[in-house]
Amino acid sequence: MDTLNAVLMGFISVVLINNLVFTKFLGTCPYLGVSGRIDMAFGMGMAVTFVVTLSGTLTWMIDNWILMKLGLEVTRYVCFIVVIAGAVQLVEMYLRKFLPSLYESFGIFLPLITTNCVILGLCLFLNVWMIDNLLDAAVRSFGAGVGFTIAICIMAGIRENLNLADVPGCLKGAPITLITAGLLSLAFMGFAGMIR
Amino acid sequence: MSNSSEAKPALYSQTLLAGLWRENPTMRLLLGMCPTLAVTAAVKPALTMGCCVIFVLVCSNIIVSLMRNLLKPHLRILMFTLTIAAFVTIADLLLKAYQPDMSETLGPYVPLIIVNCIIICRAEACASKNGLVISIIDAVGMGVGFTVTLCVLASIRELLATGAIFEIQMLPLVKDGGWFVKWAAMGMPVGAFITLGLMLGLVNIVTGKKA
Amino acid sequence: MNKIKHFFRQSWLLIVASFLFGLLIAVTNAGLSPRIEQNKINKRNRLVGGLLPEAKNFVALDAPVEIESARGRKENVEVYKAMSEAGQCVGWSFNASGSGFADKIELVVAVDAAFEKIAGFDVLSSNETPGFGDQIKYDYYRSQYKGAPASELKLVSIGDPKEIDSKIVAITGATVSSEAVVEIVSRFVTQVKEQMQKKGIIGNVKQQ
Repeated sequence: MDTLNAVLMGFISVVLINNLVFTKFLGTCPYLGVSGRIDMAFGMGMAVTFVVTLSGTLTWMIDNWILMKLGLEVTRYVCFIVVIAGAVQLVEMYLRKFLPSLYESFGIFLPLITTNCVILGLCLFLNVWMIDNLLDAAVRSFGAGVGFTIAICIMAGIRENLNLADVPGCLKGAPITLITAGLLSLAFMGFAGMIR
Repeated sequence: MSNSSEAKPALYSQTLLAGLWRENPTMRLLLGMCPTLAVTAAVKPALTMGCCVIFVLVCSNIIVSLMRNLLKPHLRILMFTLTIAAFVTIADLLLKAYQPDMSETLGPYVPLIIVNCIIICRAEACASKNGLVISIIDAVGMGVGFTVTLCVLASIRELLATGAIFEIQMLPLVKDGGWFVKWAAMGMPVGAFITLGLMLGLVNIVTGKKA
Repeated sequence: MNKIKHFFRQSWLLIVASFLFGLLIAVTNAGLSPRIEQNKINKRNRLVGGLLPEAKNFVALDAPVEIESARGRKENVEVYKAMSEAGQCVGWSFNASGSGFADKIELVVAVDAAFEKIAGFDVLSSNETPGFGDQIKYDYYRSQYKGAPASELKLVSIGDPKEIDSKIVAITGATVSSEAVVEIVSRFVTQVKEQMQKKGIIGNVKQQ
């Protein structure tokens, strides 16, 4: 029960309190580029969640069971990025074969996920946070994806409304999105201190 | 290629300047946002990050340019990524050895240079198609443009958050008998996003994208 | 056979490049790792040297001390014996960490040779709110720990910060961060002391 509690706290911590987009600045590139459509944003969020859960767990296993045991930590970054690229490739092949309609709707998002900071960032943060069991790592990876999906859906919803608002010409596009993101991060700061 | 010897210096300077302003990676091309927001709380980390990115960009552009005729089309992204990852590992080791404090401040953002869109985009768009010299110049131009952007953003944030730039006190703080009240929000994610947004807005005004 | 040939023809560059890069990384690592290790030792010396001025060397204990974290998990703590120039034990130091307001707080704590009084602490890393929780790094808060008894500490909201006892006055507007540091220091100091007394390393003033 205690482990379950700890794991649940870890999940909430990654989704709300240490949301990777608003507090750690990861995933800002696709975040800015997301269109004002919530369904596309949700689709991208789902793709990212799937890939990040898979990569996070895999890289944690490789890092803790192989690299640290053999003292090969220096190859960590190369291994991580190769695993991530491989995972994305795998997901792409799987989707193309078994769920072609879903593959069509993802479009070009899927290959672009490799360069998404969230995934590599999460793998590195799992290391920094010194997560020491597999369940915790898997749940936090999933939580990172969920946090990213929440952030991107909120932003898509706001952008939908921004299109109808009277934004000054020089601020249209990326600038107003960034300012909105800033205000959202201020809002998410309210979650700090929620759990001990 | 008959008048290439006269055209070359012009081409070189054009490529160099492009990275600095016209195609500034952060301001105009909107690449590499993640480190821009994360490390610009103070000028010193921003400068360190900028230098790392220049190092990795130049090295990876050199290697990719040398390999450009041997690359197989469907494996090339993997090759770029591998090259960049190797050089980022080396940059990280150098940082840990010679600047341990900065290495700790920058933390996981140094390895995130691997997925920094700027480097992969330049490898794809420039180094894989051009000769060695142009690739190096392009890398230097982009890298310096990126560093300058980071430093400008960092100076604004550091000045407003602590009254100092590069840890040299510029504005007298209230607790030392002055008038400047520290604006802590600038050091936090809020300040990062809003400052960058306003800066981009300013750039849009300057380049004439007014309403 | 053809498939293997095809595979190699497509990916020979990848394989060769991986090998060469691996070599480059290994060489750089081998060349720089002594320097990196030295940096870590220098950092420890610098931080604890501020708390225990006579300490010149640090010797790690043979085995890490096991304590229980706030959530009941077992943690291993590396305890270092601080030796003066003459080889006398002048104190002990170890890293302590726990959750603060925003994120994890990491401290380095130093205690005197008899493990009776805390020599002080320094913040290794923290992400507390600038201007509020951040003040745990400043003298108002830190000086209250210098000379405090190496036992359970208590946080109080009003009191005299100059009085050195087991009551620590909280920073105004940063109760959670202040409480977090009190909790971390108390937990680590009391448990490390208990474990070291069990192992016979300290207790009856007998040190090598």
